[in-house]
Amino acid sequence: MSRSPSTPISLPSKPDAPRALEFDRGARDRVVVGVADLAVSRDPTKSIITYALGSCIGVTLYDPIAKIGGMLHFMLPDSTVSPDKAALNPPMFGDLGIPLLFQKVTEAGARRERLIVCAAGGAEVLADDGHFRIGNRNRTILRKILWKHNLLVSAEDTGGQHSRTMTLRLADGAIQLRVQGKESQLWPR
Amino acid sequence: MATLNEAILSLDRLPALPSTSVRLVAMLANGGTRADLHEVEAVIRADESVVASVLRLANSAAFGTPGCTFSLGDSVRRLGTRTLAKIALETQVSGQLADAGVSYGLRRGSLAGSAIGGAIAAETLARRHRVDPELAFVAALLRDIGKLAIDAIAGPDALERIAAQAEARPFLAFEREAFGADHAELGAILCERWGLPSEIVRAVRGHHEPPSSPADPVTDVVHAADCVARWAGLGLGCDGLLYTFDAGARERLATTRDELEALIADVHSALAPAGSAIGASSLPNLRNAA
Repeated sequence: MSRSPSTPISLPSKPDAPRALEFDRGARDRVVVGVADLAVSRDPTKSIITYALGSCIGVTLYDPIAKIGGMLHFMLPDSTVSPDKAALNPPMFGDLGIPLLFQKVTEAGARRERLIVCAAGGAEVLADDGHFRIGNRNRTILRKILWKHNLLVSAEDTGGQHSRTMTLRLADGAIQLRVQGKESQLWPR
Repeated sequence: MATLNEAILSLDRLPALPSTSVRLVAMLANGGTRADLHEVEAVIRADESVVASVLRLANSAAFGTPGCTFSLGDSVRRLGTRTLAKIALETQVSGQLADAGVSYGLRRGSLAGSAIGGAIAAETLARRHRVDPELAFVAALLRDIGKLAIDAIAGPDALERIAAQAEARPFLAFEREAFGADHAELGAILCERWGLPSEIVRAVRGHHEPPSSPADPVTDVVHAADCVARWAGLGLGCDGLLYTFDAGARERLATTRDELEALIADVHSALAPAGSAIGASSLPNLRNAA
């Protein structure tokens, strides 16, 4: 690889593609992934973090041997509802963003057969009588795509009504969650 | 546990909405005619941050003319009364909300982003459902202003403690138990005190629990817009998604899942460019007008 290992790769699809609202780009050792955004890094001194996972889902892929990891924060399951936005910003949608995350981590040097997959988010509003179920449908698209890639989720914290913050530590692949002010470790358990 | 009286007393400690904002709200509620243009221009010229937003919008790719740079005077004439009033109001309300939502665990700017995202969604929904778009815009922009009052009563982590212990039921119920009133009611009282039009007071009060008899179309739109903003990941604190999408409002608006999901994508995209949301809500409008 010609790229410096200390350089995180942040991957909007185009140079001017919109990133999410980012009020805090974070400290130097953190790469912040906004809503509808993804980032890949092979710098073991860094963590990748995303905030405000409500019905959105945060997906992480991590190769523990190469210590390469990536995170996607997708908002909606299906890009056909808004083809123009999908063309501008594929990470907005699970059906485009998850394959893109696979592509970018493997391009960065991760091996598909070693990838550890974690997921958080997919919450629902209360008393959704099946009309919207955006969180649930986000979880479904994630499982479908992983199935196609012959992968399973190693650890997940999804559903409910709460907002989650998710952090991937590139040194060892540990996934930290912050929910309702409480920290916990999602992976390894 | 606070009482309703204590909650209402806390409103006295909050800074008032600037009088210029109150005038802008009144103007927009009345349709924003050309006769108001000079007054809006005076508000804009008095506030550097609004001037910057106006110039950025007037010279943006969306409706700038290649090779031309528009002065403030040109920009005022190009954008028109309603757009200018919305930009000025957005800027002032964003300032008011910049540090709000601390008690919900929100980061700086998060509630302001949610206010603007909801306003964009409400304006779009209002146009589709034959509701006054300016009224819907303003009501959605101000819908969570009552969270300022909760911040004043609650202290830094009181709500997180409550939410961590709680079962899944509407967050408004926790607020009523803990503070004697919820943020929607406190927001409506604030809007009343500021002398804002009754349509806006009503929509702020009902933005999580829209009334059904009689139903109020502006409130229905603001309610749906609030859900859209949440689904777009805006303003999510410890209250998360502990709100309902009212089935009656959904039926009255006859809104489909695909329609709302496309709107979620639109709201996200409108807020994202340039890393600043100011003026963003006016873009879809102007694109339509072009």
